Amino acid sequence: NNSYQLSSVPLQIVFYVNGIYYIFYFLATLAMIVYKCQVFSYPHEFLAPDLALLFVMAILELLRLYLGSMGNLTEEEAPLALSLVIMVGSVILSVYFLVWQTYVLKADVIINAVLLFTYGIESVLQVIAIATFFG
Amino acid sequence: PPETRAAARAPPRSGPAPVTDVDKLCVCDLLVAQCDVNCCCDPDCSAEDFSLFTTCSVPIVTGDSHLCSQKAAIYSLDVEANPPERIFKLIDQVNPSVFCIHTTNYKQALFLSSPEMPTSENFDQLLKQFGSASFSAEPDSWSMNTDAQNPSDENETYRYKYGVPIQTADAFLRLPSPVVSSWCSDANPAGFLVNQATKCIRSVSVEKCGNIQAVSMLFYINSSILAFVLQVNITVQSIVVQSLNGMRTLLNGSDVLRLPMILDELCVNIVLGVSYHITYTDAGEIIEAAAAFVLGAINKETLSIQQSFEISFTQVNTKPVPLSGNPGYVVGLPVRAGFRPQGYPFPIDIFFAALVLNTNKYSQLTILQSTSNQDCLAAQGARTPILFGYNMISGCKLRITAAMKCQPLTQTLLDLLKGQSFPEYVASFGNSQAQDVLDWVPITHLHISEQRIYNTFQSLCQIPVSLEMEVKWTKYGSLVNPQARIVNVTATITTTTLKQLPSGRERTIPITSSVVFTDISSPAEPGYKAWPTINAKLPFDFFFPFV
Repeated sequence: NNSYQLSSVPLQIVFYVNGIYYIFYFLATLAMIVYKCQVFSYPHEFLAPDLALLFVMAILELLRLYLGSMGNLTEEEAPLALSLVIMVGSVILSVYFLVWQTYVLKADVIINAVLLFTYGIESVLQVIAIATFFG
Repeated sequence: PPETRAAARAPPRSGPAPVTDVDKLCVCDLLVAQCDVNCCCDPDCSAEDFSLFTTCSVPIVTGDSHLCSQKAAIYSLDVEANPPERIFKLIDQVNPSVFCIHTTNYKQALFLSSPEMPTSENFDQLLKQFGSASFSAEPDSWSMNTDAQNPSDENETYRYKYGVPIQTADAFLRLPSPVVSSWCSDANPAGFLVNQATKCIRSVSVEKCGNIQAVSMLFYINSSILAFVLQVNITVQSIVVQSLNGMRTLLNGSDVLRLPMILDELCVNIVLGVSYHITYTDAGEIIEAAAAFVLGAINKETLSIQQSFEISFTQVNTKPVPLSGNPGYVVGLPVRAGFRPQGYPFPIDIFFAALVLNTNKYSQLTILQSTSNQDCLAAQGARTPILFGYNMISGCKLRITAAMKCQPLTQTLLDLLKGQSFPEYVASFGNSQAQDVLDWVPITHLHISEQRIYNTFQSLCQIPVSLEMEVKWTKYGSLVNPQARIVNVTATITTTTLKQLPSGRERTIPITSSVVFTDISSPAEPGYKAWPTINAKLPFDFFFPFV
């Protein structure tokens, strides 16, 4: 039975865990932005880009996880490849929240590092899956 | 030129750079180049000074504690060692919280912002932002509030207050006055209750006789003053015509408006002076306005005329006596005085004041005025008003010849010293009204004669040689705003004997007249409120079962 199934189970597991973790990440980052507004001086011209990029990242993540999961389950390369391309944007945004945010707290560093680690595992598994589907 | 260009490109000045190194920051270092006591971070302290300290007033200097890792300078005293020495450690302090700031890309977050130095470029923007009473985030809401308050004030605009420009139907009541140079400017408004007198020059010519508005009577009376719900027209009180050689005659019928016109190559009816008299009530309403004109004539050679303008305010139902203070005397204003005429129990200066509207010698205390030739008999009665607070002395020299008779000389000298109408009463306050009898102080006259002992047997001629007036005044009223009040006026005439001169000989004696103001105010007594009393009484039935 396994030899005819090309969908990658580890990739699907990682997608699932990524989805749950991202929900936590999104709520935590939003809560920390609210905390920073109260405790530090956060002028509007710095707050607006941070919030906007957080919501853009959420949309990208949603799209990427849907496409990747669908591509993996239907054993299509195209959605998986598109998901990989979108991951590049997600990685850039995660690096933004790690390094270029207005205030980078230690908690920000921790959750962004975990997210990037997850992206790393995911990208490796996605490349292997695409190679498997091609062949 | 390159120097000015370099100067224009010079960077704007900024404040001193903030100190951010924790090892250089010392909050307790207040004395410059001296060691502060118990200040362990003071760089001016030596090891001997540290050995005398008991404790460190500033034990630790750190940066922002929100940062995850920051430098801290720790100062402590090692009291175990002999002598005690200061220990300085520079460590990295770690904030254990997970919400500490790891990095920040917003540089101003960790520092207090230094204010912008105002330059000529950003001054307007800074003034708009910080120049009002509060730095409102919504500056527009402020201006809307003040607009809403204005309609309720409209009823108050026609009740005038001191200094407010008098409004007319089109603009303000104008009192032309010289502004920068001596030329007349028509934009000077007359302020309510501000008595003004101005003189200025206006350029005229016979050709433009009827065209220059400012020399025509119509210009000054065609506007009507806005008073409370009324409009008060300016009436013509009197017209005085001045001829080319300066002689003035008062016209009988003053109702006719005389406009400039050309007559025999002269331009007549040119306004040379206007004197406004405004009558007001004590509520601040103007009820009457009158103008007295002086009209003149110009010929072809005249290029400019001098116009004089005046405005004076009189309260309705009072006589326009100029006040010397309100209520206390103001230093430098004339001392007001008056008479009690026969039959009337109050001073007469109300009658004199009704005739003339300016100060004159009839309602003031005056003193002999020294002339340049110092000859008493040629003095011609020149007198100067006595100003409150200014001690004055004046005099002249009297040349006595053998031919002078005693009695006429005495009378002449008395007239000289006292003047034609020496008053009997002096106003105790600067604003004393004539009808308040008790507000006037009678002048006490004293007579001192310098008797020579060896002449007591003969009744010789006594001539007055000096008049000394002493005005005693006191401070009256509250401690923070004391008013000057005249309490006592004494006029002392000193006489001396006049020895008969051999014929042909002359003698010169000095005649002096002086006035001295003495402050006899008693020290101020503070007035305290009564101490509160403790009202402790037992209730009526406190000892109920027994009483």
